[in-house]
Amino acid sequence: MLPFLLVSGLTTGALYALVAIGLVLVYRSTTHINFAHGELFMVGGFLAYTGVVILGWPYVPSLILAVIGTFILGIVSDRAIFRPLIHAPGLSMVLATVGFSFLLKGIGRLLWGGRGEFTSMPPIVDPSPIFLAGLPILPQQLVVLAAAVACMLALAAFFRGTTAGKSMQATAESTRASYLVGIRVERVYMYTWGAGAAIAAVAGCFMAPLTLLSPDIGFNLLLKAFAATILGGLGSMGGAVVGGFAVGIIESLAGGYVYTAFQDVSAFIVIIAVLVLRPQGLFGTRPAREA
Amino acid sequence: MLRVEGLSVWYGATEVLRNVGFTVPDGEIVALMGGNGAGKSTTLNALSGLLKPRGGAIKLGDRRIDGLHPHDVVMAGIVQVPQGRYVWPSMTVRDNLVLGAVTRRDKAGIARDIEAQLDLFPALRERQKVRAGALSGGQQQMVAIARALMARPKLLLMDEPSHGLSPKIVEEMIDIIRTLHKRGMTILLVEQNVGVAAALAGTAHVLRNGEIALTAPGGELLNNAQLLKSYLGR
Ligand SMILES: Nc1ncnc2c1ncn2[C@@H]1O[C@H](COP(=O)(O)OP(=O)(O)O)[C@@H](O)[C@H]1O
Ligand SMILES: [Mg+2]
Repeated sequence: MLPFLLVSGLTTGALYALVAIGLVLVYRSTTHINFAHGELFMVGGFLAYTGVVILGWPYVPSLILAVIGTFILGIVSDRAIFRPLIHAPGLSMVLATVGFSFLLKGIGRLLWGGRGEFTSMPPIVDPSPIFLAGLPILPQQLVVLAAAVACMLALAAFFRGTTAGKSMQATAESTRASYLVGIRVERVYMYTWGAGAAIAAVAGCFMAPLTLLSPDIGFNLLLKAFAATILGGLGSMGGAVVGGFAVGIIESLAGGYVYTAFQDVSAFIVIIAVLVLRPQGLFGTRPAREA
Repeated sequence: MLRVEGLSVWYGATEVLRNVGFTVPDGEIVALMGGNGAGKSTTLNALSGLLKPRGGAIKLGDRRIDGLHPHDVVMAGIVQVPQGRYVWPSMTVRDNLVLGAVTRRDKAGIARDIEAQLDLFPALRERQKVRAGALSGGQQQMVAIARALMARPKLLLMDEPSHGLSPKIVEEMIDIIRTLHKRGMTILLVEQNVGVAAALAGTAHVLRNGEIALTAPGGELLNNAQLLKSYLGR
């Protein structure tokens, strides 16, 4: 049972890591936690569902629809809600993102189903298990794992190798220096909200066929991503990845060995344990920025 | 080149700059001096577009630049080396320089200019791949200056480039600024170190409580040390 639990833990962990990366991306750059991040994941999943099930499109175009759709949603939300509040006290931003999460949830229920309804998404590839070294593995898990890892590598390349990526990194590290060399900081924030949303959508698209979709799944995912970032050290991109995988595996093992219901509370337990034992997280990075 | 007229800047309900006016002629080094809290950095930040002045005008040549976004100020040719350097600590020295040219599109020119900065600051050449945060204070100051030069400024604003450096490094810094001056760069130099300002500036203005209290040729600063001391509050 252990290998099976590990593989399924790694798979969901990879998706938690993606959601956490988006959360950290926005946090590092703007110092705000986007409490609507889970809802962006949900919208991404449902946009893919719209493509595949409602419109009958193949999987890849549906994924593209979801990514572009949520990217635009992220940008629109920046212009409409977040940018006017960028210099307001932190609490205004918390309320704004929480409010935005309710708005998205409402729109989700309107378009894709009411309270407590779950929608299933057809599998990406043939759902029957294959045997690798004697272990039963769902091909879909491999696809998801590969896609999530590819997405992380692409992001790393983006930050290391492109001016846009470096500008995001620079804005996160010193806003003042970024303004002074002529980076359009507001535009960087805008693309950061968009990119954070798009990454959440990628995770949503790949999670949807593994679990069920409902307009209410956002909060749960935010919680998992939050546990991952707390565990990895809030503000650390690498920490979010490690934390995401760790939360996925802990959850899977807890569900398999301890008690099924334990799976859902394990993220809470991780958050509490980390805050008590090692508040700075595994990688101990404070956000590298000045006042 | 630069003309500042009747500049007034407020932080909330406090007026920090009152009717500040001065010019920086083409190719010259002008020093802006004054004690802590006199308003020197505020003046530079208003020039850079980080602060919106409440009154007055800032002209670069014939063009009004007050109220422009910082990006447009850089595009107009004014670049600031901030007090405290503000290098990007986790990025390599080279990436710091690359981002200094973020407003430019001429790839070949950018590559040439990186080489030119590494010639000007040989200590940085061997440290190109080092994280800027790992450098000494003097080297970080060099990164900050080199980064600013990467935007090809017409006017360089330097906020206390000698602050916190050892006397030997301060001498190096003076040489570098002198080299830039010889190459034709126009510089507005904020300094608290009278020796540095006297060594470099053609003209010096002394700010006190947000107003220009004294203007003197740079060469006379040291003769006027007694007077200056009273103005600098030291
Ligand atoms: N962000 C700010 N908010 C309010 N007051 C400020 C701020 N920055 C500077 N000040 C005040 O403005 C005055 C001028 O500051 P500054 O320009 O930094 O002085 P200097 O660079 O000459 O030491 C000081 O009294 C300082 O306390
Ligand atoms: Mg100052």
